[in-house]
Amino acid sequence: MSRLLAVAANTFRETVRERVLYNLVFFAILMTLSGLLLGQLSIRQDAKIIKDVGLAAMEFFGTLIAVFLGVGLVSKEIERRSLYPLLAKPLSRDELFLGKFAGLAFTLLVNLAVMTAGLYLTLVFIGRPADPLLLAAVYPIYLGLVLVVAIAMLFSTISSSSALAAVFTVGVVVAGRFSDVIRNMREVAPGVPPWAIDFIYALLPNFRNFDFKDRVAYGDAVPPDVLLWVTAYGAVYVAAVLVIGLASFRSREFQ
Amino acid sequence: MRLRPLLPLALLLPAVPWTQARIDREIGTFRAQEEVLYLWSGEQVKRLSPGFESLAADLYWLRTVQYFGGERLYSREKRFELLQPLVDIATTLDPRLEIAYRYGAIFLSEPLPVGAGRPREGVELLEKGVRSLPHAWRLRQDLGFFLHLFLGETERAAAVLNEAAEVPGAAFWLRMMAADLVTKGGSRADARRMWQQMYEQAEEGIMKANAHARLEILDSLDAADNLTGRVAEFEKRRGRRPARLEDLREAGLWGGPLADVAGTPFGYDQQTGRVFISRESRMWRPD
Repeated sequence: MSRLLAVAANTFRETVRERVLYNLVFFAILMTLSGLLLGQLSIRQDAKIIKDVGLAAMEFFGTLIAVFLGVGLVSKEIERRSLYPLLAKPLSRDELFLGKFAGLAFTLLVNLAVMTAGLYLTLVFIGRPADPLLLAAVYPIYLGLVLVVAIAMLFSTISSSSALAAVFTVGVVVAGRFSDVIRNMREVAPGVPPWAIDFIYALLPNFRNFDFKDRVAYGDAVPPDVLLWVTAYGAVYVAAVLVIGLASFRSREFQ
Repeated sequence: MRLRPLLPLALLLPAVPWTQARIDREIGTFRAQEEVLYLWSGEQVKRLSPGFESLAADLYWLRTVQYFGGERLYSREKRFELLQPLVDIATTLDPRLEIAYRYGAIFLSEPLPVGAGRPREGVELLEKGVRSLPHAWRLRQDLGFFLHLFLGETERAAAVLNEAAEVPGAAFWLRMMAADLVTKGGSRADARRMWQQMYEQAEEGIMKANAHARLEILDSLDAADNLTGRVAEFEKRRGRRPARLEDLREAGLWGGPLADVAGTPFGYDQQTGRVFISRESRMWRPD
């Protein structure tokens, strides 16, 4: 366990060193400009738009970071030749894989926490209350990002190219955002057998499950049992992806 | 870090705003917004922005406000061609964007050159809003008002106001206003009460300013009608109509201003004895 935590801490330090958190500067600029300009431009919709922009930016930048950090697990380490000394250490592949995952998940958590603080500061700056309800959208966003990291790491263990792993991950994330379209595919493609549609719908991660941005932007509460089910869905899916990823990582031969 | 390689930046960076200023001077500070909307369907935009529909709606709403403001202030033709599709896309992406229905309806319904002069589209937008937000009594209220004020469909307006009164939390006077519309057939007093309500409900901004302008127009119409009555009185006393409105003052029949609220002198038709708001005035609206 201590070795796993050491890998996680090292991964976090590494991502910070890679200036991943620079996106926070961009987020800060985006939020400041939104706060200053939107009141004039939007006709009293400034608070709602700032919430929309802030939450969308968290999800969008978070996804980008999750993809590009996640796919770097194996392929980038191979490219930099830094994986071999790691594998030579008294460290199991499971510990390395899960430690990396925990480190990346922590990086995303820090990233999201700072962005959330920035969003609240912007709202206070324009004289609006710091609505705690926003956290009911931020938390599922985090769950979604953790799932993206897990998927990215899985593809990283399968593919030897980080670019290819990134393309696969983005493909799955985008497809997961179109889950409702897949479910309604029967209407546009009546020839496709229903079991095939049901299978694809069940197999793909449904990223719409983690999307409560619209609700909280309008001040609607998210029922706790819904959040509980979303957490369960995220946990099960992440665990499943990690199991496959681990199996793939264990069996992979590095030369 | 060595600074010498960065020295050219000292020259190049100020050159960017300088060249931009030259371009602006040549073309004009305001460049008309491109009259092109690449995506005409809200459903298309929705499909292209999964998970980010609300953000896309905000962007379309911002563009709507900018387009309307730019067109109204700077365009010579003031056609507002893109107004309806822009508001429609914004409200399709975010059906709960109540502000877009209310402001969009005003932008669309007001006659040219103040608005797009398309009251039917304004009413359709409010109908869409009522379908999306059945519990928003103010949208139903606006729909009733607009049906009466812009389309003259008084009976339907009264029915919609009665529906609005049924919504929990709705204002108590909606039912009385509906009854007045039915019994009086929609008088100027009804119109004044409607605009007064819109003025009181709106926060500072374009909607409040528009309601205020409408109230000023009603004041000016009242003053013009009053003057028409004085012209009739003049005719009764002197056996002829006054040659000019100033004659009313000289005859001691009028002590007030002979101009509308905007300060533009009233028009006067000696043939009919009718006093009216001049077309030159910003208070003038087509009948």
